[in-house]
Amino acid sequence: MVHFAFLDWFWVISFILLMTVCGILFYKLGKRSMADFFLAGRGLPWWLPATSVYATHTATDTPIWVSGVVYQHGLRGLWYTFFSAWCAISAFASTRIFRRSLAYTQAEWQTLRFSGLGAELLRGWIAGWQVFMNMFILGWVGMAMGKLCNYLFGWPQWVALVLFSTICAVYVLAAGYWGVVMSDFQQGVIAFLVIVIVSFWGISVAGGPHGIVTKLDAMGQSWRLNPFAFSGLTSGDFPLVWFLTMLVIAVIGGFGMGTSIDWYPEAQRIQSAKTVRDASYSIWSGTALIVIRNSLWAVAILGFFVLYPNIRETAQYEMAWYRIGFEYLPVGMVGLLFAAVVAIHLSTISAHLNLGASYATRDLYHHYFKPKATEKELVWVGRVSTFILLIGSFIYGSMMQEITQWLIFALWIMAAGIWLPSILQVVWWRFNSWGYLSSWIANLGLSWLVVWVLPEFRILPDLPDYLQFWIMMVLGTLIYLPITFLTKPEDMDRLVKYYVMSRPLGWWKPVRLEAERRGLVAVEAGAAKGGS
Amino acid sequence: MSWIKRRWTAAEADRWTKEDYVTFVVSPLVYVLLLLGTALSLLLRWYGFLLLGIGLALFFFMLWVIDPKLKAISEDYEIKQKQYLEDLEKIARWEK
Repeated sequence: MVHFAFLDWFWVISFILLMTVCGILFYKLGKRSMADFFLAGRGLPWWLPATSVYATHTATDTPIWVSGVVYQHGLRGLWYTFFSAWCAISAFASTRIFRRSLAYTQAEWQTLRFSGLGAELLRGWIAGWQVFMNMFILGWVGMAMGKLCNYLFGWPQWVALVLFSTICAVYVLAAGYWGVVMSDFQQGVIAFLVIVIVSFWGISVAGGPHGIVTKLDAMGQSWRLNPFAFSGLTSGDFPLVWFLTMLVIAVIGGFGMGTSIDWYPEAQRIQSAKTVRDASYSIWSGTALIVIRNSLWAVAILGFFVLYPNIRETAQYEMAWYRIGFEYLPVGMVGLLFAAVVAIHLSTISAHLNLGASYATRDLYHHYFKPKATEKELVWVGRVSTFILLIGSFIYGSMMQEITQWLIFALWIMAAGIWLPSILQVVWWRFNSWGYLSSWIANLGLSWLVVWVLPEFRILPDLPDYLQFWIMMVLGTLIYLPITFLTKPEDMDRLVKYYVMSRPLGWWKPVRLEAERRGLVAVEAGAAKGGS
Repeated sequence: MSWIKRRWTAAEADRWTKEDYVTFVVSPLVYVLLLLGTALSLLLRWYGFLLLGIGLALFFFMLWVIDPKLKAISEDYEIKQKQYLEDLEKIARWEK
């Protein structure tokens, strides 16, 4: 339990009021149209979506997750956080292509890239899955806040889940994405400053940089300072093949759309940027901030390790970074830290409330139920969807216990079978909607089979996660590739239209030649050589 | 560095060229260098400052390479965007 003085409560209440009022102030802009409620009118300069990217991916459970891997692995644990590096290539490849498509959501993009029944099935499926997934994320992030407040104040876990998500819903319901992105800006600034203060404080408490290094040496733990301290090629708890697999997933994944679960919130930020250039820079710089933030955390957690080297329970050492702040900051500053925690929590909750509602409104209600709906009606449907997501998150949150286990499952496994198809749909003209749809269906079955069911019945041994990834990728390919070739290519008119608008990267030669023949794009010099 | 093109017409900028491929290589490298350079610099390791310095230098190099092209793409695309948005609404409303 942590004791709060008057000054601590002052910080917390002031920041909550500031964040909520700031969001509500944009009520008039948010209600103008669906484009305003979900994309802030597509007119934001790069730094606003950038801080939103950073703030959204700095959630209450993020320092818990980073503490867990860095306490366990030292600086090599930073690579567990490096999945966000898909934005390095995406910012200049798939971001550019997606921004040019102008799709509100990834689900809508499917109907621009593909055509016919397959495209509509994909749109419906991805929209439904995203509504579910956002509810799920809201639940797990909400419960992380519940656990933290239980540790700090002894509150039952559901209290913080319900309290902070409800406060957040006030400005999301009022102003939609305008409220989200404007609050994210000040939440991101507050959070980054406090992360710097607490991390430096932690390093200082542990004896400063020199003290941490000396103590690790004395403890025989200096390997923790080496980010490349592999335990072997395939053996141990940090094998080289895991590292290489992670690099492939993270870096090459940037050519695709949906190779990471973070693509979906990023897609909304990409479309809210005012130009293609702003979209690229927002994704790149928001993620650069995340990368730097992880390093700040990691060094502070190394400091925590030298102070408390013998913690065995995961649930205990996962609280490392929070413990530095709450146990070592002076009275008055603890409230500032908690205000920052509330800030990062609200930024994540608000982003997923609005994102989930965008799929429910644009893709399900507008496209399938009422195509002739007015803008006013769609804004109201957006608000109702937001409220339904809020209630759903309470239900999911109450069902969730092991944060780390779910995070690993989501990061590795739920993306494994669709990782390559999510790239192919962007870079290969012949990949069609039936191929992509079948990869989703196959992945759902295969992920549960390979990870849970077959090992339970001793048909498969318990495999390391990187092997599960490659197995599912290969098994999935054996299903969706034949289906792609056994079904017809997409309609050429649709492909040409998509090509002219988005100018995709990769193997699009037949489509490009057709677009040139129709006089829709300039004939490329040396066209006979090119694959793109 | 004449092999890096700095002046683009809209039609040229729409194509994927070596400037994009250079960016695809440099950009992940910058993230790696920022990640390691920041952590090791905070621990006052000399090679941390070196990595961070190289990372920042590569970051500015990347901007120098890709920014003129992104500007050209954006300027041209924004002119066409209104028409594309109208088409998008027609698809959403099953009119196209």
